[in-house]
Amino acid sequence: MFLWIAALALHLSLVLATCLQDLFATLGGEQSALSASSKLALKFASRASSHFLGQSFSNANPIRQTITTYTNITGIEAGYSFFAPVVSGPNKLVFELHYPDGRIEYDVPAVGSAATGYRISTLLDHLAAVHYVRLREALLQSLVEASHREHPQAVLIRAVFGVADLVSATEYRAGKRTSYRPLYVYDFQFGGESRHPDR
Amino acid sequence: MNKAASLQRFLFVTDSGRWLDILRLGLGLQVILFAWSLRPDWQSLFGQERGGQVSRLLIEAVLSGNSSLTPRLGWLINAVQFTGLSDTAILWIIWSALFCSGGLLLVGLWPRFVSIASWLLYLATVKSGVLFSYGVDNFTITGLFYLMIAPVSRSPWLAGKQSNTSLRTRERLGFHRRILQLHLCIVYFFAGFSKCFASGWWNGDNIWGALTRPPFNVLTPEFLLHFESLFVLLGTFVCLVETGYPIFIWPRKTRGLWLLLIIVMHLGIGLTMGLYLFAWIMITLNLSAFGAELFPGEGWILDRPRLFRPHIVAPSGRG
Repeated sequence: MFLWIAALALHLSLVLATCLQDLFATLGGEQSALSASSKLALKFASRASSHFLGQSFSNANPIRQTITTYTNITGIEAGYSFFAPVVSGPNKLVFELHYPDGRIEYDVPAVGSAATGYRISTLLDHLAAVHYVRLREALLQSLVEASHREHPQAVLIRAVFGVADLVSATEYRAGKRTSYRPLYVYDFQFGGESRHPDR
Repeated sequence: MNKAASLQRFLFVTDSGRWLDILRLGLGLQVILFAWSLRPDWQSLFGQERGGQVSRLLIEAVLSGNSSLTPRLGWLINAVQFTGLSDTAILWIIWSALFCSGGLLLVGLWPRFVSIASWLLYLATVKSGVLFSYGVDNFTITGLFYLMIAPVSRSPWLAGKQSNTSLRTRERLGFHRRILQLHLCIVYFFAGFSKCFASGWWNGDNIWGALTRPPFNVLTPEFLLHFESLFVLLGTFVCLVETGYPIFIWPRKTRGLWLLLIIVMHLGIGLTMGLYLFAWIMITLNLSAFGAELFPGEGWILDRPRLFRPHIVAPSGRG
């Protein structure tokens, strides 16, 4: 019985640590309305939660690997502060397809069902958060290659990745509509030449 | 000593196990719907031969950077590649196994084996597409994990053929239900608490934002503007219902109301934002954790011996 209680305590401690880390990151973020000193305190608190989750160790550290694997297989690796503090604008990826005859067409990642559409939307949100440039390029290249398989005649595909500025109800009533700001533009060339991204 | 005894009574309260049947039925349908919803894009999401949207190998490499021990589709594919089957064929076998595991969860056959298989297949699928996954996957994995580690519950169809459930098993059933209950309290408290700090939830801006943000914009902005005056009310409702969940879900007097409010909230999210799978998993987890006693008739799911019927999971003195 003692073992069961100890296991429960450990499990819920990890759930709590993940939630606290997420909460501190959310409230300490740029979009939070808290004061600068409160945000600094939250930053320290977030770091303490990260320590508890083993994230201060190197990736290969067995303690970190064990904790991360456990949180992954139990589905508790992410916090629950959905849409807090604000609903951020969605991201959008548009492909500009250039053909040898100078024709230009536009395309977006194609999916077969609405359920996959939600998942692609999640992927784009992840893509916006990726700070490792090589990884972002590799992910974009993969999406571009999928588009090229659908349009094999295209010699250049320009991937434009942008984020939307959502409008409030009042702004919408006044006639303002959601607009997209480009964040990254990558060119991928096809047709014998090596594909290379240009930012 | 008294506190320790109270804690023990609270954690190891005897339970009929009906909650586990609700969890299994709900998760069975969830796994089926998940597999079915991904069927048109299964190969484009995870296939390598014809090339997917995003390379599975790339995503699994990202996963390895985070955790090298988390199960993934690549492991399952490598394990059966000696048969000479193609990547595409193996992926379809995995899809079929996932779909069938959901069906077997519903039917209740071989509950232990099937719950482990469902958890493993779902986990491997989600982790091989970790950049595609969102909240619904985490909650489903958590639900499947609890189902897997809980004492084997009897199948609704086979219940009549089995009887004597030991006291120890009933206590363990209660203990595992407590884990789910406490977990949900943490989930809702933090979900609500983080929203309370944002003015957007109190003035209704975030309700508008959530309902108009692609791809959740099921309803048109023009239609939503007719209900603009309700946004403040809805935002406040979400903050209060979520933050108040750990307080009001335990006492018997408020449990039914709070369960109803939280289910209404999830139905609303499902219908107005198109997040049907998310709504279903949350309703399943809530009904399983706190609503098992609300279903009329003990024989509805399990035909249990009369001795077990009065035992309800609730903290002593509060429920």
